[in-house]
Amino acid sequence: MKSYAKKHYLLVLLAVITINFFLPRLMPGDPFLYLSVEEGEVAAAFSEEQIAQYKAYYGMDKPLYMQFYDYILKLLQGDLGYSIYYNTSVLEMILLRIPWTIFIVLCALFLSSFFGTLLGAISARLREKPADKFMYLFMVVFSEIPSFLLGIVFLFVLAAKLKWFPLSGGITIFAPHTSMLSYMGDLLHHAALPIITLTPAGLGNFYILARNSMLTVLSKDYINTAKAKGLKKWQILYKHALRNALPPIIARIFLSLGSLFGGAVLIENVFAYPGVGKLMREAVLKRDYVLIQGIFLTVAVTMLLMNWLADVIYKKLDPRVFR
Amino acid sequence: MKSETKGTAVTIGKNVAVIFLLLLSMILGLVGCTNRPSESGEIISGDAAGNENATAEEPVIIRLAGEDVGLPNPFRHTAGGAGVSKATLLYDTLLEKDENQDIPWLAKRWEMNEDGTSFTFFLHENALWHDGEPLTAEDVVFTFNYYKEHPPVSNSLTDGKKYIVTDTKAIDDHTVEITLNSYNNTYLSKIGSVLILPKHIWENVDDPTTFDGNGATVGSGPYKMEIYNPEQGAYRFVAFEQYYGLQPAVAAIEWVPVSDEVLAFDNEEIDLVMPTADLVSRYKESDEYIVEEVPAYRNSYRLMMNMETVPELCAVDLRKAIAYAVNRQEIIEKIGRGVGLISSMGYVPSSSPWYNSDIEQYDYNPEKAKALLEGRTYSFTLLTDNSAKSTKMAELIKISLDEVGIDVTVESVESKARDNALKTGTYELLLTHAGGMGGDPDYLRGIYGEKSTTIKGWSNERVNELAKAQAIERDETNRKEMLFELQKIIADEVPMVMLYSTVTYFVYRPEKYDGWMMIRYDHNQRCDFYKLSYVVRN
Repeated sequence: MKSYAKKHYLLVLLAVITINFFLPRLMPGDPFLYLSVEEGEVAAAFSEEQIAQYKAYYGMDKPLYMQFYDYILKLLQGDLGYSIYYNTSVLEMILLRIPWTIFIVLCALFLSSFFGTLLGAISARLREKPADKFMYLFMVVFSEIPSFLLGIVFLFVLAAKLKWFPLSGGITIFAPHTSMLSYMGDLLHHAALPIITLTPAGLGNFYILARNSMLTVLSKDYINTAKAKGLKKWQILYKHALRNALPPIIARIFLSLGSLFGGAVLIENVFAYPGVGKLMREAVLKRDYVLIQGIFLTVAVTMLLMNWLADVIYKKLDPRVFR
Repeated sequence: MKSETKGTAVTIGKNVAVIFLLLLSMILGLVGCTNRPSESGEIISGDAAGNENATAEEPVIIRLAGEDVGLPNPFRHTAGGAGVSKATLLYDTLLEKDENQDIPWLAKRWEMNEDGTSFTFFLHENALWHDGEPLTAEDVVFTFNYYKEHPPVSNSLTDGKKYIVTDTKAIDDHTVEITLNSYNNTYLSKIGSVLILPKHIWENVDDPTTFDGNGATVGSGPYKMEIYNPEQGAYRFVAFEQYYGLQPAVAAIEWVPVSDEVLAFDNEEIDLVMPTADLVSRYKESDEYIVEEVPAYRNSYRLMMNMETVPELCAVDLRKAIAYAVNRQEIIEKIGRGVGLISSMGYVPSSSPWYNSDIEQYDYNPEKAKALLEGRTYSFTLLTDNSAKSTKMAELIKISLDEVGIDVTVESVESKARDNALKTGTYELLLTHAGGMGGDPDYLRGIYGEKSTTIKGWSNERVNELAKAQAIERDETNRKEMLFELQKIIADEVPMVMLYSTVTYFVYRPEKYDGWMMIRYDHNQRCDFYKLSYVVRN
């Protein structure tokens, strides 16, 4: 059974690599085609010879199957290639940016799962009372607001008008930090808006999941037993009910990384936050095949890894799923 | 059984939380590492950073909106203005461009031989590289040889297939002679705009596109690079104190990441902004700002007509009818919010000294268009990119053409797809915004001449002849005559309909810095891309 799962993941990985290779090549236009200009910009005009030379340099003059073969071969050596637009190693570029993205995604995940679960539990406890109904409605509506929209509102109100937060970037640039503490503070200050923008979408999901999960558990016999023992209400809620309601929530933590990452792509572009999402947008706009592939592959592999982790942990948490 | 399950859930729940926190702190640390210049070696050209710019007065630091445009050396900056201009501040060229012409720069003067195929440049004797080494004629010789094997991103040295430089030799330490394969009116400008490399650094580099070692940004320009932070898109250039030429005007230039440029400018995070026409009025009212209005002479919206696949378009009367029928003033009013400049149908912009005003102007005249069509009707597809501006413009063109009996279907696609169609000729009518109208009018040869690939299915004997002849004509009066005739034929033939040039607004606070040079004679770029915007001029 286990080897079946492994095969499964391997198959998905192969599919990902293949799609990842062909998809950017199916887009119209190529990285050397600059025939029109943006406002106030100069078009970089390449001569036909230059283009031929570049294409040869990046192996793009070879037939597609040869390019694919080369791609796989290099991939096996851990080589993600060389960005056409930025003239830099793709791996290097991704490694520089991915910590930023992971940082805001994990913070948002922590906040949304923690508060979502907490509020969900409270809501379940107060079931059918006005507070529960209000919270339910609020969460459903709130979590449906697209995060980039929320981001723009936050940017204008909290950063531009009230000046509580910086307008952009991941850190105060060119400012020497005297202590680790001021450095950390600056990092968090810059990350705050992206994080609180990313949090609501997940918050609603965790809230609803936790609420449902808790409602199921609360109707179980052992809760009645606990009540009969004369335990306090909140003790029952947190010691007995919540702990048993946790497995699906923990699995969801890993599974929600995908959508959170998708949100981060948009948010990073709103706040000019230096993560992978901002890089991805640039790469797509510039038709930088090599870079697009590198980013997509990194993201896909991360997602697969998270799914696998979710699988493993879920099995350990809930023996009913597997023996 | 049940209690056991509970137990596992609890411990694993705790473990997950612990792992989570551990991961979080690790990542915080990691983010940290990538960002402290002193640790990660992001100071790429780093000698005693920054403390030599202490002057008597408060040193001026300009901040501009930044993005990652690569390592700013000739091989690794990104294509396009933002990348090129950064490399240009670090690396000097033999000549520089001001409002009117090429001016002496690294070469303090130059001579041309009899037949114009060889130039002798006399270099500044006290020019230094940022690492303190003296710059000599050897460096220039090395540069021209090196670029032949390793073309830089912005390559002006190939014309067609050929490398235009045939020989470079150092006459003495500060004199260099460059021989070219033939005479062309643009070649002096071309060799004058080559970024000169330090031989002592690049002579050992085999693949410059991957080189980022010591000295990868050492140039001889007025500024040297102190910090490059790729993931933030941030750069810090500081004044090069030992600079031989026009002195750097500010102590440092910093490019910082910006989410919204107007917000950042209002917050004084950046010192220059290019707002849209709608936003400009609020700056015009205040004394705090200077608003400059600069037409983008070099670029123009164009309506392309494919004469290769649509035989009807080969009839010059139809092309003329289209030119008369399109209401360009209305496009400017509605799309450009009233600001814009109608382009000349002879291609050369009205700001150029080579502009011929005595050609057909094609003022809006639907009656004349109808007369030219003699009651014939047509139906075409107009391909445009999917930006709001272009699609609206396409709709306006559709309405205008409809009035004279030309039925147009607008099709909008993603901009790269449109560009691809333009290149491969898979369109009937096509709307595009393109540049290539700056500086020397030799561009007419590339667009309308024999080897043109821009205009599909059109060719004119006399145009080919004149285009070739003007490139090598050394007498200015004769050349002007040729170029005037060229423009006249082009305007009469209307191979493409020139629409209008946009206007760019620049807003800055003069109190902070007012050294911006707004116009360069080749109209190439924006004021923040001009080198002369950052040096002290008389």
